[in-house]
Amino acid sequence: MGLFLFIFINLNSLLSAWDQRVQLVVYLNDGISADDRKRLDQLISRKIEVVSFEFISRKQAWAKFESSFSKESDLLEKLDFNPLPASYNLKIRSSTDRLAEIRQLSDILVSQAGVESVEYGEKWIGRFETFMIFMKVFLMALASLISLGAVLIISNTIKLSVFSRKDEIELMLLIGATPGSIKAPYLLEGMFQGLLGALVSISLVKLVQVYLKYQFQGSFETLIRGMEFQFLSQTYIVTIFITSIFIGLMGSYISLQQFLNSYYKK
Amino acid sequence: MIQLYNVFKSYQGNPALTDISFIVRRGGFVFVAGPSGAGKSTLLKILFRWESYDRGQVLVNGINVGKLKPNKLHLLRRHIGVVFQDYKLLAGKTIFENVAFAQEIVGTSKKAIRFQTWEALKNVGLSHKKDAYPLQLSGGEQQRVAIARALVNSPEILLADEPTGNLDPEISFEILKLFEQANRKGMTVIFATHNQDILHRGDHPTVSLKRGKVVDSRVLS
Repeated sequence: MGLFLFIFINLNSLLSAWDQRVQLVVYLNDGISADDRKRLDQLISRKIEVVSFEFISRKQAWAKFESSFSKESDLLEKLDFNPLPASYNLKIRSSTDRLAEIRQLSDILVSQAGVESVEYGEKWIGRFETFMIFMKVFLMALASLISLGAVLIISNTIKLSVFSRKDEIELMLLIGATPGSIKAPYLLEGMFQGLLGALVSISLVKLVQVYLKYQFQGSFETLIRGMEFQFLSQTYIVTIFITSIFIGLMGSYISLQQFLNSYYKK
Repeated sequence: MIQLYNVFKSYQGNPALTDISFIVRRGGFVFVAGPSGAGKSTLLKILFRWESYDRGQVLVNGINVGKLKPNKLHLLRRHIGVVFQDYKLLAGKTIFENVAFAQEIVGTSKKAIRFQTWEALKNVGLSHKKDAYPLQLSGGEQQRVAIARALVNSPEILLADEPTGNLDPEISFEILKLFEQANRKGMTVIFATHNQDILHRGDHPTVSLKRGKVVDSRVLS
């Protein structure tokens, strides 16, 4: 569970880092008039789906290009003019139908005077949106399965423990023990197992996180930008403890109740 | 007082008890006799609600046994001590711990547990073996421990399900004497047995069962 949360948090931070990078680029004609630019500027700033935008002039675009391709200086020197257009870079807000919003915005912008073309990597964004939905559903399903698995494991462990002390429990029932006094030690055992599980899992996650951070942080960052190997926050740690104890309690309650019912229903 | 009225019990359609009616007064001693399969154990199990029944009425000390909810069963069972043919002692606990266990369950204080356990073991003549484990004792001794455990909480009713079934005659009579001794102190005793020697030696009212029916009752009013 802890390891799952660790993966979940880090994957989530990676996905949101990617998510923030979704942008739309509006390329402008070289001879765009000041009026057209002003109108375009106003139009973009009025659009609520645009989180922020930045104007990149031809000069700035060239400077950026030069710094990115400084190793190819020979090639750059041979170019005696600036082939790059001016552009607007628009950051688009995250929403459930972002792709549709981007398409709509793109259609509006491309028909404006002075706009040469609009690019937003339609296929890539489409795939990314599908991937995001898939990941969220997958992680939620996995979390439910893991929790259910934990309940079953603890339930079976307690069941074994109950069956190994079957004679003792039977005798307790015969002599007149209250249901609470029969259940209490097993419920406590279940809760303790949950607590122990949480402790082991959090320690394990910390170990994994420290190991990954010191061994792979640098190399991963170049591969997957946004990957930070964060440890679980205090809220998540408390949640893990509470959930684990609850799962332990539920697991032992289920197996105990099944066992006791077999006596009550005779 | 124990009252049964037209009690009927079946297992998957096969009748185990049919129309059982009798009354045992407070402080009485009653044998339940009959061959194996006659329904003696079932009858006893109904009295402490280990088994339910299909029809009829069972009242134990005024408690309507059939109407007890699972979470209230302990209220009935704390009035009743039960002794079984197979002793039901916990092999991992010493004799002393086995008897003390019955008191821990009902919440007796530690000080009282020490004293009462000692007394109970002395009454059945086993105080010198308090640190032994059940499997280190003979069958007769194990049954005496089981009796000590059943008596230690001073129940009003003592039920015995073939307590001499695994024992030789001489030891069986000793066991019977322990039950009679408890009865003289005011405890109501119901003693199930198929042993004719015990029945003759005991000379107590008897409910005889055969195939789940009362065939003779020298009982009981």
